[in-house]
Amino acid sequence: MRIERIGREPEFSQYMDLKEGWLDRRIFSDAEIYEEELYRIFARSWLFVAHESQLPKAGDFLTTHMGEDAVIVARQPDGSIKVFLNSCPHRGNKVCFADAGNTRRFVCNYHGWAFDTGGELKGMHEEYCYDEIDIDRKKNGLKQVARVAGYKGLVFATFAEDGPSLDAWLGDFRWYLDMLLDNEEGGTELIGGCIKSVINANWKFGVENFIGDAYHAGWTHDSGCRSMNNGEPFPPVDMENSYHASVNGHGWEFGTEGVGDLFLLGRPKVMEYYERIRPKMAQRLGEMRSQIFGSVASASIFPNVSFLPGISTFRQWQPKGPMEFELKTWVIVNKAMPDDIKDEITKGVMQTFGPGGTFEMDDGENWSNCTTVNRGVVTRHERLHYRCGISRQIEHDTLPGIVYRGQYNDANQRGFYQRWLDMMEADKLDAMPERPEPRLTGVSETRDVPGLFAL
Amino acid sequence: MTKNTTFKRPQTGQSASLELTHALTQTVYREARMLDDENYVGWVKMLADDLLYHMPGIETRYRRDKTDQVNDLTRMAYYNDNLEEIKKRLSRLETGTAWSEDPATRYTHIITNVEVEMTEKEGEYQVFSNFYAYRNRNEREEDSLIGNRVDIWREAGAAFQLVKRRIILKHNVLLSKNLNIFL
Repeated sequence: MRIERIGREPEFSQYMDLKEGWLDRRIFSDAEIYEEELYRIFARSWLFVAHESQLPKAGDFLTTHMGEDAVIVARQPDGSIKVFLNSCPHRGNKVCFADAGNTRRFVCNYHGWAFDTGGELKGMHEEYCYDEIDIDRKKNGLKQVARVAGYKGLVFATFAEDGPSLDAWLGDFRWYLDMLLDNEEGGTELIGGCIKSVINANWKFGVENFIGDAYHAGWTHDSGCRSMNNGEPFPPVDMENSYHASVNGHGWEFGTEGVGDLFLLGRPKVMEYYERIRPKMAQRLGEMRSQIFGSVASASIFPNVSFLPGISTFRQWQPKGPMEFELKTWVIVNKAMPDDIKDEITKGVMQTFGPGGTFEMDDGENWSNCTTVNRGVVTRHERLHYRCGISRQIEHDTLPGIVYRGQYNDANQRGFYQRWLDMMEADKLDAMPERPEPRLTGVSETRDVPGLFAL
Repeated sequence: MTKNTTFKRPQTGQSASLELTHALTQTVYREARMLDDENYVGWVKMLADDLLYHMPGIETRYRRDKTDQVNDLTRMAYYNDNLEEIKKRLSRLETGTAWSEDPATRYTHIITNVEVEMTEKEGEYQVFSNFYAYRNRNEREEDSLIGNRVDIWREAGAAFQLVKRRIILKHNVLLSKNLNIFL
């Protein structure tokens, strides 16, 4: 599908200088820039649409959004997953109003046009009113996205026919993702249900917070940390042995102490569980990744998915206008975990990173105030400071990506906005630069790559 | 003839006596006043040691869908807390660094439609109610949370303690940035 954009093409590079380390505030509230984001980023990126565990059986479906476009994600009889617009080709009405469920048909309420779980038109009310020449059923199904692909349980879709494969899109970030998705035999699943909330803030504030902003945690979340851990403050940050890693706009910031995020969850049983499986994790992912997992860490997948490995909140920031997003949150656990550990994690996540969570409450307040204040007609022309750690880039033998030393850093945020700029300016996705050049080219499995990253 | 029936214990599911109904209605009003006043020390004293405080997240699903979104405690929930977990949440306010609570949010809980019924257990009563919780904050931030509650309250000396509360908020998408409130 070609995404046509009518109108002038602004110069997006005027909104930032990442070598100098500043951003223009207008990208957080300007309506025209937001519209361009929907076209250039959300209509062309690989977007997270589901976890496979949400659709175990044929006919299982869920509804979500790709940018602001409503879509249905449905498990097919052959086990594959299809993603198509939740909009009838007749007059455009929604054909599914449920968040999730199981069905044989999606039927439009307006004129009874009925589609199977693959989106194909199967019938309509008073069908005799159409002559044969009027309609070709094959061409009047629900509009399919261009491509659907998965990575270790996560299902992604894109409206872009051209551009990189999902493996290339994630690139070397898969090395990091495996710490979340593949740290134990059997992979992961999402706990049932999804908590959604509205925050009056620009979507990028959520993403950039999780992609690299370890810096805010000790200050913003002092109260949250102390409440979950008998008055104990945040664990100290080791600037020598903690890192930022950025790959194609995705980012993971992390320590290597192995326990920080597990501590913040405030659930000793969960900490014990991970300590028990850590030797196996080391066999599976190597010593280094087994030490990174569980550390104070946070991560985002470009453009709008974030998670905390170790705390197990998994979330998506859905854009709803320049100054509003809908936050969808899930809990991600290992399938192999016993039920009591899954329950402990679920309760722990909702007490820390649910809307009533001791951490989450202080975040939304910050992001909405950043967004509304930045809109002031004078204020919006003032630059924002993104320079922290700008000279701390290193080459690391083991860690792939653009790596910076020191967890308190704006490096991953700069990497995210660099990718934002790359996409906003690129006419063709194939022409977008890889940042950095991948180490894992051609390797679809990032685990069990013999010798590649052995310590 | 003596009118013994007046004093006979109503059966499970039947309305409690006028006196009990009055006492429990006053109890849930008093609880609401404590929450409005952020008197959490007083509120916690109204909670039983074996408390279950549950507010499930409710997805929009078709009528034919039989997924139990209310009683299944393993699903995503805004609250699924015992007493210790409630106390943990509250301890955040005592740290002095809960930045988003200062200046304070202004709360009003309106509790209506109170019904009190007998349960199988002596001294435990089922209390149905509706709530309208209004929040206002800083300059012009405001929101409203509306829903139903089903409680179990237990006699504890001269007062009652909350043993179990199930809160059904009528939102699908929580139309608020957070839930710095108990309902």
